[in-house]
Amino acid sequence: MKNTGLNHKVLLLLFLFGLSSCGVSNVVIEGSFPTPNINKMPVAIAVYYDDALKDFAYLEYSETGREEYNIESGKSHVQLFNVVLPAMFDRVVFVDSMEEVPTLGVDAIFAPAIEEFQLALPAKTKLDVFEVWIKYNMRLLTPDGDYIADWVLTSYGKTPTQTFRSIEAAINDAAVVALRDLASSLALSFDQVPEVRNWLNSR
Amino acid sequence: MNLYSLSKLSGIRQLLLVALALLASCTSTTIDEFRQGETGIGSAETVVVLGRRQASDYETRAEFVSCVGERMGRGENALTIVPEQEFVDAMFPWFEPRTAPLRTRDLERLMAENVVAEKMLDFGVRYIVWLDGHTETTDRSGAISCTIGPGGAGCFGFGSWEDDANFDARIWDVVSMTSVGTISTDATGQSYLPALIIPIPLIARVEANACSRLADQLKSFVNGS
Repeated sequence: MKNTGLNHKVLLLLFLFGLSSCGVSNVVIEGSFPTPNINKMPVAIAVYYDDALKDFAYLEYSETGREEYNIESGKSHVQLFNVVLPAMFDRVVFVDSMEEVPTLGVDAIFAPAIEEFQLALPAKTKLDVFEVWIKYNMRLLTPDGDYIADWVLTSYGKTPTQTFRSIEAAINDAAVVALRDLASSLALSFDQVPEVRNWLNSR
Repeated sequence: MNLYSLSKLSGIRQLLLVALALLASCTSTTIDEFRQGETGIGSAETVVVLGRRQASDYETRAEFVSCVGERMGRGENALTIVPEQEFVDAMFPWFEPRTAPLRTRDLERLMAENVVAEKMLDFGVRYIVWLDGHTETTDRSGAISCTIGPGGAGCFGFGSWEDDANFDARIWDVVSMTSVGTISTDATGQSYLPALIIPIPLIARVEANACSRLADQLKSFVNGS
């Protein structure tokens, strides 16, 4: 009788193990981002993150079409922009809606959006690196919501394969490198975008 | 277990240890130094060791970079080393894979930025050492099979592979903003994995040897000896 109980437990454990190996792996990107060491621009900016950015998640499928990895990077993107933008501009105000901006006395609204996310796993590329590539659409608007500039920014991150490191941890590391790449591109190229440069010069 | 079996077991253990010591030391390392300028370092000056991460198919491992830095900061004529991550974070975003200076001309341009020059002065950096390379595993051969049954488990077989570590270290003088030299290291070694019931890994410490030889050479190079 005791043996039957034990067998049931073992079977249940095996069943649960089987189930867990079939499901999608959730990867929530986590990392710390340093404050950029740059000169601030004499501009007051309102920053608006839409829900698509805040809740951004990418689903990677296996070669057989099965959902393999769900990569949630919305929170880490917000965390990154919250660190980078105050280092770039004299005054930064984070807003929940575009409607509240005209009363804030800022010069422009910055609204970033993620357009595309790609993941390359060593099992598929046959390279010894995990790679993450992200494409963004950066928008700069007047306080009334009119167009100032709209440009594409790409970021890339990779991390080598390592013994005793899980695939989830490697994806996280590659994504953090990509996010740092985004921060460096944005911080160093913001005033090089022709429309932004014209707007800054006209002020 | 009788006395005879005990002494036999201890004999096997000793043989295994000797074999392990012999095989583990099967690593050959070649160091090549090219000097382009005079070097020397003051007691208040520091060195930062950074990994190159621009290649598309590999990247210099952070563990190797920290191993070289750690070893340069130890022993006789030890240097003050700024940890890579601390330096890269403090210099953010100027030393990221896409923005890091590739030539000394780029360093000159970078030092024209007052925020970079100030931070460099805070750290007291005199030399930047750029490490570029990786370890490649080749010539894998052999096979090991393991079985598990009601009577127990065990493995049987033999595997071997060769590791080849190739690293270049380029040394930049931050004061003169010139490249003062390059040190290349090439270490190779054969690793074995015999399995007779249990697998016994006999690993050639290729990267560790490359790290220690390169760090010692870099230390004497920077000290000007």
